[in-house]
Amino acid sequence: MDDPIEKLLKNPRVWRGRSAAPGWQGLASGYPRLDRYLPGGGWPPHALTEILLAEHGAGELELLMPALARMSRAADDGDAAGWIAWIAPPFHPYPPALVQWGIDLSRVLIVRPKTATEALWAAEQALSSGNCRAVLLWSDALDSATSRRLQLAAERGRSWAVAFRPLDAQSEATAAALRIRLTNSREGTELSILKSRGGRPATLRNVVRDSGVG
Amino acid sequence: MSSSDKSPAESQGAAPTPAAVASVHAVPRAAQQTLSLPPVEDARRQPAASGIERKLWLGVHLPKLSLEALCRRNETAAWAVFDEQRGMRRILDANAHARAAGIVAGLSINAALSLSPALNLAARSPSREALVMNRLAVWAAQFTSLVSIESRDVLLLEIAGSLRLFDGIPSIRQQVGRGLEEKGLTAMVAIAPTPLASVWLAKSGRGQCIDDPARLAGSLGPVPLNRLDWPDSVVELLRGMGVTTIGDCLRLPRQGFARRCGARFLNELDRALGRLPDPRESHRAPERFCAECELDEEESDRELLLPVCRELLQKLERFLRTRQIQIQRVKFSFFHLQTQVTHLTLGCVQAGQSIEHWFDLLRIKLDRIELAAPVIAICLKGGPSQPSSTATGSLLLDGSGRSKTNAASITSLIERLSARMGDAAVHGVVTIAEHRPQRAWRPARLLDEAPRCATSSGFWNEREMPGLLNEIQRTNSLLLRRPLWLLDVPEPLATKDNRPLYHGQLSLVNGPERLESGWWDDEGIARDYFVARSEDGLHVWVYRDRGSSAWYLHGIFG
Repeated sequence: MDDPIEKLLKNPRVWRGRSAAPGWQGLASGYPRLDRYLPGGGWPPHALTEILLAEHGAGELELLMPALARMSRAADDGDAAGWIAWIAPPFHPYPPALVQWGIDLSRVLIVRPKTATEALWAAEQALSSGNCRAVLLWSDALDSATSRRLQLAAERGRSWAVAFRPLDAQSEATAAALRIRLTNSREGTELSILKSRGGRPATLRNVVRDSGVG
Repeated sequence: MSSSDKSPAESQGAAPTPAAVASVHAVPRAAQQTLSLPPVEDARRQPAASGIERKLWLGVHLPKLSLEALCRRNETAAWAVFDEQRGMRRILDANAHARAAGIVAGLSINAALSLSPALNLAARSPSREALVMNRLAVWAAQFTSLVSIESRDVLLLEIAGSLRLFDGIPSIRQQVGRGLEEKGLTAMVAIAPTPLASVWLAKSGRGQCIDDPARLAGSLGPVPLNRLDWPDSVVELLRGMGVTTIGDCLRLPRQGFARRCGARFLNELDRALGRLPDPRESHRAPERFCAECELDEEESDRELLLPVCRELLQKLERFLRTRQIQIQRVKFSFFHLQTQVTHLTLGCVQAGQSIEHWFDLLRIKLDRIELAAPVIAICLKGGPSQPSSTATGSLLLDGSGRSKTNAASITSLIERLSARMGDAAVHGVVTIAEHRPQRAWRPARLLDEAPRCATSSGFWNEREMPGLLNEIQRTNSLLLRRPLWLLDVPEPLATKDNRPLYHGQLSLVNGPERLESGWWDDEGIARDYFVARSEDGLHVWVYRDRGSSAWYLHGIFG
């Protein structure tokens, strides 16, 4: 008890990455190389995942598509809440492409809020309603307090929250269970796991589009 | 009333046709002793007969309702209403101008239009007629407490209790007649001690007024049978026997009449003559909920207004539950001392939601509106109601049962979102079989359940053939790669050395895919689509317009 190190380790503010075994079965991302680096073997199921982007189109949707497709199809097998909410997407999610990726369109809910506050509110509602298996949110207005709210809502509604944020959010603290940075370069995409609850940071190249397009 | 004092009254009332009346009563009496058919027993007749003395029915028949429900009577143009019978559209009724042009009921509409090309035609609308009748019933409640909608075009008023107030039969009859005239309705009014008799007299077109039950049989005697709403087969059968009026019917033996035509019609005759009781149900105007709550003092804090609203909603719930009805719309009105009332309307897709749901919607909406001033009173009004329906749950926990409960709760999420952001901001998507990328999809309303499957995949049902469809989709995806992001409006791209620029020079990796379609409307396209990669590794979907040779960015492979 008197041992200062013991005392320090008991402080709840100290996070010990290695000791915390993942208490969940992850959602397989569909990219085995990535799954190996994610604790639980996939996306954290009832938590917030942050994806930091410099530019829309860095392969962020392709990264999620296999998992989302399985979720929306799972609805047919008796899993009730298979809805996927898209909140404040920057462009139109293109339905023919979604179908190509295997998404069940009857489970797609698109919300176009007028303000950033509304977007956060809608995301929280969708997460905590318990009807949405996944909630995708595009927002520049997320901060550590709101990310904490989303994280709690995701736990409450047992839903997977994904927030897409600009690259400069990297310096801000977050309550997300997983934080990923996607960057593009001539050589291909680079995926960096910046924060992973129960895991450790890593950098992977060409997880998506490794087969290339042309 | 015994049979001894009845006879003189009868013979007196039926003076015009004494023989007929005598036989009317002679036949049933004789029949009663020998027949096993529904005999009218003395014991049952007595209360009915004493009831007749108390009741007096005013029957209103609207012979031109189908026309007058659709156009005003003082219309200056020629109007006619048609009805579809056995695939033929025939004129049902026409107004005076049309009749002057030779339009009569029964004409086919082609013949009518050739007679009068300027004729305005309207299809008969039973719902409009029902609306007129309901309004009329509400209006008629000023004369009596018992108003009953007898049939499509007949209204009954029980006026015995109102005679003193309205100064006797002639006066009440005049007032009803004037009211109907003001409403622009052609009406026949008759008064009789039994409801059926007043209906038949009104329908026969003789505006009689009989207040003495003893005169009933005599007055009904000349009414032709084809005015009674009896089936044609029965009327024809009787006509073949030379029986064309009610009087003729009454002269027939009861047993034979019942056997040939059906006991129902004998029963109707008995009821019309007051030999059997013939109660009517009173028309009830649809109820609307309205409750008000005045606050002790002016209040502007929304958090303190909410409990009051909740109380009102609880009252609403009790009101709905006791009446077994449900509503889809409620309106809150917030009253201020100085300024105009603030109204707040809430709607929900699924009627019969609990007050928690309404309260949720209210809380969301109340946050969004401006209250111009502190509130002094709140009023809650319910919208039109419908009978409540409670779905029977499935005994087995099969998939369909579960998805239903899930659909209900996603509904409440969607309602909450659209309550705050507007209906247009929350939607689903469907694909459309169309080559033009812009038109290959559209937003879909989420809460109408049916169309999703039908439109998403052409002529087959997606759920029936998932395997095949998946296969096709997979093949498609190999052939024609589509971007996950589509731009609302294609963005023009600058070019350098005839090659498009986007984040540096674009290299075309795949293509061209030529799409040329839509020449039949004004949004035809002729484009060559390419999958391209920018210098910093973004994959985009670009096209070259074949007309102008300009490059555009249309999608991003997110």
